[in-house]
This record gives sequence, structure tokens and C-alpha cells, in this order.
Amino acid sequence: MSEPATFASPVVSIPDFHSGMGIAVPTLRDESTTTKMLVRADNDSAVAASLGVSFGSAILKGGNVLVAATRPTEWLALGDPASVAAVIDQLVAVAEESGNPNHMSTVDLTHGRALFRISGAAAAKTLEKVCSLDWADNMMPDGAVASASVAKVTCDIIRNNQYEQTSYLIASDRSSAQYLFDAIIDAGAEFDIAVV
Amino acid sequence: MMLVPCPHCGPRNSTDLHYVGESHPRPSVNDVTAEEWRTYLYMRDNPAGLLTETWYCRSGCRQYFTAVRNTATNEFVNHPLPGNRAGAVDPSFHYVSESKTGSVQPTIEGAPS
Amino acid sequence: MTRLPRQPGEVIDRSVPLRFTWNGKATTGFSGDTIASALAASDTRIFARSMKYHRPRGLLTADYWDPNGFVQVGDDPNVRSGHRLLEAGMEVSAQNVWPSLDFDIKAANGLVGRFLTAGFYYKTFMKPAKLWPTYEKVLARFAPGGTIDLDSPHRYHDKRYAHPDVVVAGGGPAGMAAAIAAASVGASVMLVEHNHHLGGALLWGTDVDRATGARLAAECMTSENIEVLLDSTVTGRYEDNWVAIVQRSHPIAVERLIKARAKSLVVAPGLIERPYVFAGNDKPGVMLSGAVRRLVNMYAVQPGSRAVVFTANDDGDQTARDLERVGIEVACTVDARRGENIVAAEGSTKSVESVVLGDGSSIDADLLITAVGWTAPTSLLNLAGDRPAYDPAAARFFSSRLPDNILVTGGLAGDGSLDELIEHGSATGNLAARRALVVAATLQKLTTRAAPLAGDPGEVPADDRAPLGRNPHPELHRSSTHGIVDYSEDVSSKDLFAAAKEGYDSVELIKRFTTATMGPAQGKLETVNTVAVLAEARGETIADVGTTVWRPPYAPITLGALGGRIFEPVRVSTVQSWHEAHNATPILAGQWIRPEHYGDPVGEVRNVRSGVGIIDVTPLGKLDLQGPDVPKLLNLLYTNKWVQLPIGGVRYGVMCAEDGVVMDDGVTARLGEQHYLMTTTSSGAGGVWEWAENWLQTAHPDWRVHVTPVTTAYTSINVAGPKSRELVSRLTDIDLDPQAFAYMQVRTGTVAGIDKCVMWRIGFTGELSYELHVPSGFGLHVWDTLMDVGADLGVAPFGLEAQRVMRLEKGHFIVGQDTDGLTKMPSVGMNGLIKLDKDDFSGKVELGLALDHTASLALPRLVAIQTTDPNIVPEEASQIVRAGTNEILGRITSSRMSPTLERSICLGQVLPEAAEPDTILTVVMTTGERITAKVMQHHAHFDPEGDRLRV
Repeated sequence: MSEPATFASPVVSIPDFHSGMGIAVPTLRDESTTTKMLVRADNDSAVAASLGVSFGSAILKGGNVLVAATRPTEWLALGDPASVAAVIDQLVAVAEESGNPNHMSTVDLTHGRALFRISGAAAAKTLEKVCSLDWADNMMPDGAVASASVAKVTCDIIRNNQYEQTSYLIASDRSSAQYLFDAIIDAGAEFDIAVV
Repeated sequence: MMLVPCPHCGPRNSTDLHYVGESHPRPSVNDVTAEEWRTYLYMRDNPAGLLTETWYCRSGCRQYFTAVRNTATNEFVNHPLPGNRAGAVDPSFHYVSESKTGSVQPTIEGAPS
Repeated sequence: MTRLPRQPGEVIDRSVPLRFTWNGKATTGFSGDTIASALAASDTRIFARSMKYHRPRGLLTADYWDPNGFVQVGDDPNVRSGHRLLEAGMEVSAQNVWPSLDFDIKAANGLVGRFLTAGFYYKTFMKPAKLWPTYEKVLARFAPGGTIDLDSPHRYHDKRYAHPDVVVAGGGPAGMAAAIAAASVGASVMLVEHNHHLGGALLWGTDVDRATGARLAAECMTSENIEVLLDSTVTGRYEDNWVAIVQRSHPIAVERLIKARAKSLVVAPGLIERPYVFAGNDKPGVMLSGAVRRLVNMYAVQPGSRAVVFTANDDGDQTARDLERVGIEVACTVDARRGENIVAAEGSTKSVESVVLGDGSSIDADLLITAVGWTAPTSLLNLAGDRPAYDPAAARFFSSRLPDNILVTGGLAGDGSLDELIEHGSATGNLAARRALVVAATLQKLTTRAAPLAGDPGEVPADDRAPLGRNPHPELHRSSTHGIVDYSEDVSSKDLFAAAKEGYDSVELIKRFTTATMGPAQGKLETVNTVAVLAEARGETIADVGTTVWRPPYAPITLGALGGRIFEPVRVSTVQSWHEAHNATPILAGQWIRPEHYGDPVGEVRNVRSGVGIIDVTPLGKLDLQGPDVPKLLNLLYTNKWVQLPIGGVRYGVMCAEDGVVMDDGVTARLGEQHYLMTTTSSGAGGVWEWAENWLQTAHPDWRVHVTPVTTAYTSINVAGPKSRELVSRLTDIDLDPQAFAYMQVRTGTVAGIDKCVMWRIGFTGELSYELHVPSGFGLHVWDTLMDVGADLGVAPFGLEAQRVMRLEKGHFIVGQDTDGLTKMPSVGMNGLIKLDKDDFSGKVELGLALDHTASLALPRLVAIQTTDPNIVPEEASQIVRAGTNEILGRITSSRMSPTLERSICLGQVLPEAAEPDTILTVVMTTGERITAKVMQHHAHFDPEGDRLRV
């Protein structure tokens, strides 16, 4: 038998590039191992009410699960496996209690999506080279969620500041991840982007 | 590039969307004639003026929606952006849709006579 | 020409000399020089040869628009020498000259110029048509332009998006004032200047002009709200103020294309000086006033030694004063405002020697300067739907109607003192900013993800600016003699008269017939004169004739800038690194990089047929379907019935579009009470998802179904071959007993220690096979494990090619290969899967008509075909014809040599008359040879009963 199975990230190679590691450099991190659970429910359902966030926004639930409303009737829960499972269990309970005929469903996309985090003062300047969204603070405030083409790959994007620093999570289809990773590094090279 | 007012996302670049085309109700499939069906499939009004059309927000919320656009000015009638286009819509551009099964008589190969 | 003593406004740095070569000769300039100013300072008078007649040409405008200033710099052709800054070591050469600039054999064209009148090429080379290739070769040698070096190193072009409140096109006094005013009320501003310095005409102006320009420029450069883009051009304005900006000389890229969504666009490009049409107006030494003032004041270059100045305005007058200041003799000032005129520039072809005035007198001079008025570069306004109107009193065009988000200032808006222009610019910037802030607030309010807007966006402010005046200016276009109108295309006023006489007397026709305005200057210098000469020929006014429509780009744009960084996503499976390490030949299938084979596709087929092989089929489309109404959706999308699929069951289905054309096919499994997994073709995955969403969202919003694409959530591995059961049994807890897990069933369980795997018993290859769908993060682990534990069974990977061969042996069609955009479902021989007794499904009406009506019997049929000679494999898309004729009966859609049958096998579409089994077909090979082939009984060439699948 082979060695024990470990989750393989879709990013298998980090290209050679120059990084000056300056003070304001954007950083790029592969967070693809994050558990990603897709929740589908009607907007007027008890489940939606319990999620407490509607299309275009994200909130933190249960302390450490980020729930992003990525489409009308669709949410993406991100976090560690146990915390995400707890949130999902709670939603299932809500759905059952409500007796609401509107059904809820979940799909585990942990393996289906790659997840990158790009942070730092120049993160938006990097992203505006690959994505046509307006990254201004009023148009993409902390907690904002959008879907858009990033270097021609449709991605879910969440503004999720960390340590009072600008930060974005980008979720793409897993198979495009290596391409997307390389494209972001290429865009960020002029800002001395660093892979962390 | 035109901005398209997605009712869910807000204004988006038209390249974020897929243009589905003119919106016409699908005839009931169980009592439609070949001519009515093929008129629905193939015939388009293509007015220079107001047109109800379907868009799919492909890179965004992935929702289908309909919007009314003035094809002569590209103004989305119910979602105007301020300051965008020259002058008011010329009322003469207003297009009155003809009956889908009216005077147009497409040649239909293989239709029962 | 030589370098003048230090000038107060010079932009060159004399402490930094730069060595370069001009036509191979060592030359020196200074940092800050353009190529043209450095050449002019080193006594270069002839810069180029004209395009058609190869007449010697000198500087005319000494800026970006100079029609005579195109040079080759190293491997870079068509460089505008009046614009490109000099760099050390540049190898600069003249273009379009052979054998040399000074002695040009092609100048013989000038001697036979009467043959090269307007439309010459159209008329002369049209007949006989068969000689065109010969003509083309000769003409190509005369075509203008530099040479392209195919070995040029790749250079990095960049692109970015931007969302500024205000874009200001033009960094002259009004543009700078507009940017400052907009920034001061909190707007984010992009100030785009075509040249290398802010300041516009102030750069070559008086001391007061330059001081004012420097103050404004400093304010722009230091403002936090203003991004100054020098050496950059707004090349176009599109719907909703989508503004394209090309930024040259960017630190990290040769060029960067900026796609800006401007909330307001301020257009302030200034005015472009217009040449005068008279005999000899293209001789070296005839210059526009702006050229002389640039050369003298910015670059300290002496443009000549004895000048005649023909002036109709302050700029001409100031030019004379500038010349006097630096000690260049002004032999005569001819003032058009007093009715004076010039008639001709005389001398050799290489230089002006004397100027003939309107009164017939002749004055010796080597420099003739004209200042006869302006062209209003309204391109960006035209792109916004403006139709500028001609004002004869001011002798130029002015904007007539614009949307609120475009504002005009500077010379394009009117005339005034410097203070008045700055004041108008400020008012314009302020208005642009206030309007932009309303648009910004509206966008914020309408955008779901944006921060909530406090308050109301408000109304778009009205235009409260005091308009600029318009100075009277004489209309001066052509003297009493004929001269060049379009310098870059070598079109004279005589040509235009002749063309008008031939009937090409509308402005759009004369443009295309004579090519006037169609050269590299793109009308900036010659449009108004073209219109004016045509008006003269027609005996009408410029307003009557109208003007051509300016189109983007404002200035030429390189293909590199448009291409930029190219985004071409590619997709790979988790196993891709293994494939690469094991000698896989990659093939690009859509966006997917897949192994075509691992060196021996024939061996791969034999290994599957005799033992066991594994293939990575991850790109197979997969959709997770959940909800009580999934069967309704399946019934709608597929042509067959789905209500009674048991849990653990798998069914094949075909999807048709509403016109009955086959759209996709695949198998769908029922995993649970309300849980299904659909597979689609690899290329159809995205489309089927959107198709399903379309039905659910628009036709049946009440149906409770959730569709989620999960294509790459799973690594999909097909284990195929008689030994596949043995192999899979070694690493799963799923019961593989054929009674417990039969063909066309699905199970979930553990594979190689990985939970939540889906296992299908299906078989595209025709062999016993198990398709494993493994959570992607563990895909490589499962693949490795299969290779390890199957080593004794001879397990080997197989690629797309082997799979395609095996499916063809089995006669399975591929949507898009064996079908096309006209292939309706009855053509593929699966009428049993069309269930017209269902209430509704996509394509029902058309399929009903197709099955019902006799006319539909004309539909082509997909059949299996075998060539008479088993060793001949006709190429795919070979035509099938009626014997002895060229009448097409069909075509080969797939063909391969079958390693299993050791003969050529095909699928093809043929008309019904040729579709009966045992029909002998005539196939036309790509060589033209005709061979015969036979229609087979079954689609499957191999194991038509499917016994091997069901073991």
C-alpha cells in the first residue's frame, strides 16, 4: 500500500519569481485545505434566517466559521471541519424544527474548490490587474462577497480583513487553481508579492 | 463596455453576463402547431427601441433575469444610471411588438400541411 | 540645424549626452531629446521619404503626429520620432527608403506621378485578376512601414482595471486645472497626458506660460487624489464611460492597457495645428508654427537660418518673436489677417530655397512657417455620440451634444486667455467631480455587496460653467496652388479635385477612394483640409460637406497593448503531476490538459481488452442534484423517463435542445432518496449546468431542486478490463459481486481508505469497468494505490486516445464529434429513448415532428462503417459520395485503426438511402482517391451484444 493519504493541494508548484519582501507587499496564501461546505436554501426559509446573512455579505458564525452568501439561495461555510460540521448540524436542526417544506441541502466542496488568501495594502492593486471589480472600500467593504472573473476564472471573493489588514479570500474551481495561483503571482510581481 | 443592471448584484460589466436574447413565453408544448413553435424558436423582433430580454449573470450571481433595454440607446429603462447617455429617449424609437404568429410566415421544412 | 544656446524652457539635460546611430552613423543627443529633436540638432533635414512618390520629407510638426517622422528603432518599426524619447545606444534608421535616404530609387515614382493619381491602384491592378499575385509582390516592396523582426524578444505588456471618479484626457492648462479642481472636492482623478511632460502648449510658451504650467504640474504631481499618467493616451471612450488608456513607458512593462470605468470624463486634448495646402508644402523646411516653437523652446534646436512666417494668429506671431529672440532672421512675416498669402515654396526637392508670396514676389528662405489654424481633435466626443458642428467664424469644429458624464474644456471648448482657460478648466473639473460623486453614490446604492449608502445619491448637477468665447479666425485651407493634403498618404488637393470630378464627391467616398485621412496621422492633420478642398470642388461650405466620423483608437495602438497579459485558463486533474512524471503526451481538450497517451496507445488498448487499465476521466462533467423534484428536472432535460430510477441505479440519457438537436449525453445515478449525481460530457459540463438553472429559474421556480457543479470535487478514475474487478476488490469495502453490484449500478463507499467515494459500473470502453469518483484531495493517493496494488495484474494507465479507440470499437458516439449542430436525435439511432408520452421535455415538439412526419425521413443517420480494404483509415470528415459522382451522401465522423479487430473502423453520418446495412459507400480520401466501404449492421464493431460489460 502507499503511504497514508494526505489531502493534496491543487497548487503543486510555486513559480520562480522575484520578491523583494518590502513593507507593504501583498501576500498570497494557499488555504485550500479549509473545509468548504455549500448550503442551499430558499431565501425566505428558517435556514436562511438562521444563517443571518444575505447575498453579497459574509459573517462569522460560531466564532470561527465564515459564512458567505455567495449567491441568492446559496451560502459557503468556511472553517475547520469540526466547527463547520457544528454549524451545519445546527442548520439541519433548524430546517427540521421549522417544518418548512422549503428544503435545505448541503454539498461538501472542500475538494472541489481551491481557496487563496491575498492580503496587504497592495492586495487590491494586485487584484485590479486580474479582475474588473471596483475594490474601493465603499464598494468592497470588509465582509463583502462577490462573484467575478479573476484572470478569466469565475471565483467567489470575500473581503475578510485580518489583524486590521486588508485581506481577500478567493475561491475557485480546484482544477483551475494552479493557473490562478500563477496568474495572481504574475499580477503581484510588481508589488513584490510574497507567497506565505 | 455597457453596464447591465443585474437585479441581484447591481450594475455589472456586460462581459460578466451572458446575453440569452429576446424574452418570449414558451408555447405550451402539447397543443402548439409547428408554425407557432418554429416562430418561437427562430423568429426575433429585433426592434430599434424598447426590448424585453433575458440575461444570465454568468460571472456573478448566476441568476437569469429579464430587463427592458432601449436597443437604440442601450439605456435600461427601469435602471438608468445618472449622467450616462445623451438626451432623453426619442419616443419615436418606441417599438410596438407585433404578434409572434402574425404576418411573419417562415418557410418550415417538414411541417404537416 | 544646430543646437542653440541654453533656452529658458528647454527640457533637455545637457549634462547627459546620449550616443545613438542614425542610419548607421554615430550621432549624439541629450537626455530629454526626442529622436526627432536630436536628429534635427545634428543637422538632419530629411527624415523620411513619402509613401507614394518617395519625395524627401522633413519635420512638419515635430511631435507625435508628424507624418514624416516615422523611423525604425532597432527591431521596433514605425516609431514616432517626434514623440519617442532618445535613449543611449538606440539604432535609428529611416524607413521606406532604398537604397538610402538621400538617394532613393523609388523617387522615380515622382517622375511618373501622373500615373499615380487617386484610385490608381484600384484602376490599374484590378485586371487581369490572375496577375494580381505578381502585382502584389511588386507593390509590397513599395509599401511604407518599417521591418518586423520575427526574432524580436518577447516583451511584457500589462493590463489593469481602474474605477476613477474622473478621467482627464489631456494635461495642458485646462486639463491640469480640471484635475486639481476635481481632486480638491475629493474625487479620485486619473490625469492622462499624451506627451512626456504636463503642460501642453505652455511648455513652449512664454516665461509666464511656463511658470504657470510648472505650478499647475507640481500641484497635480503632488496631489494624493490625482494619478498622473504621462506618455499615455486615452484611445477610446465606450458605453457607460468605459475608457481605454494606453500607458507607455511603464516601469514594469513596455505598455499597459488600463480599462477604466470613469464616472466622469473630461476631454481636454487641446488643438492640433493644421497645415496649409500650397505648392511645395511638403518640402523639407516647411514647418508648422508649433514645430518651430517646440524645437526652439523645448529642445534648443535651430530649425533654419532665414525664415518666412505665414501667420493668421497669435501663435504665428509668437513664433516670429521666438525666432527673433534666438537670432534667426525673419525675412518676412506674411499676415493672413491683412489678406496676405503665400503661393509656393520653391527650391530643390530636398529643401526650401525661396517662398513665392501672393503678390508674386519671391523671398529667399530655408524655413517657411505656417500658422493657419487648428483641427479640433473631437474623437472621444464622437465616440460618445457627438456630431461636432463647424463654426466658420472660428474656423473649427465644436461639440454639439454630449452625455452628462463627458465634459469638454480647453481649446476644444473655446478660446480665452490663459487665466480664462484655467478658470474654465477648474469649473469643468469641479462639475465633473460633483457629477462623478452622484454616479459613484448611485453605483454604491445599486451594488448589493457595497457599503450601505448614507443618504440619497442626489441629482446630477446642472452645467453652471461660464462658457469660453470663440476667437474669430480666418478660414485658411488652400492657397491658389495645389499641394499635399495628406502627407502620410501622399494625397494632393489636385487628387481630391479629380476624385470629386469622377463622382467621389461625398466625404466618406473620397476618403476611401483617395485614402486621404486613412494614413498613420488618422485625420489629425488632414481631415479638415480634405473636407475644405472637397467643399471647394463642390462649390459648397465645410458645414455642407460635413466630416468623416472619428473612430477609435485616438492614437494607434500596438497589438501587444491590446493583447496584454493573456488570460488563458487551463485546468488539470489532481493526477496531472503523475501523468507528467510518467511520460504522458498532453493534449488540450477545451481548457483541460489531459494525457493523450503514455507512449503506446495501441498497447494501452490491448492492455485494457486483455487485463486492466486505468484512465483519469476527471474532466467528465458532474452535477450534484438534490431535492424532491429532481426526477421532474431529469424528465425535462433528458428525452427518456426518470421517475422509476431506484436508489443505486444508473441510467443513460440524451439531452436535446428545443430544436431537437443532440446537446449532451451521459449517465445519471440515484445516490439517495433525494440525491442524484449527473454526469455530462467534459465540454458540456458548464453548458448543462446553465441549461438546468435556466429551466429551474425561469420555467419552474417552484420545483425544489438544487444543482451544484462538482466536476472537480472528484477525481474520476475509470478502471477497465477483465481484471478490473479483481483490482478494485483489493481496495474497497463495496461488495463487487456481480449479483450485488451489476452493470449500470452505483455504490458509495471506501476506496483505498478514502471515504465518500462514488463507484459506478458503467463502461465507455466496452469492458467490465468501475468508475471511481474520489474526493479530489485524495485523487493522487487512490491513483497511486491502484498502480501499486495492481502491479501483479499488469495494471497500466491509458490515455484519451486509447479510450477513443475503444469507444469507437463499441460504436459509442461523441456529441460534437459524431454529431454536429444540426444532428437531431433520430439521427443517432436512439429513438427508443425519445418518450413523447411525457408531458414535457426539452425538444419534445421538434422530436415529435421529426418522428411523425415523412419529411423527417430525410434526416441523416449515424452508422458504423468498415472500409473494404481493412488497412485504409479514411481521415475524419472525409466525404461520402454517390458512386461516380460528387454528390455528397454523408461523411466519416470518426475513424481509427482498431487494435482489437486489426482493421479500420469508422462511424459516419449518411443519408437514409445509404444507411441500410451492407450498403457499399464511396469515400473520398483527402488525396482525392476514392475507396469503398460498407455500412455495418450494428454501431458496435466489437462485442455488439455487450457481453464483456455485464460479466
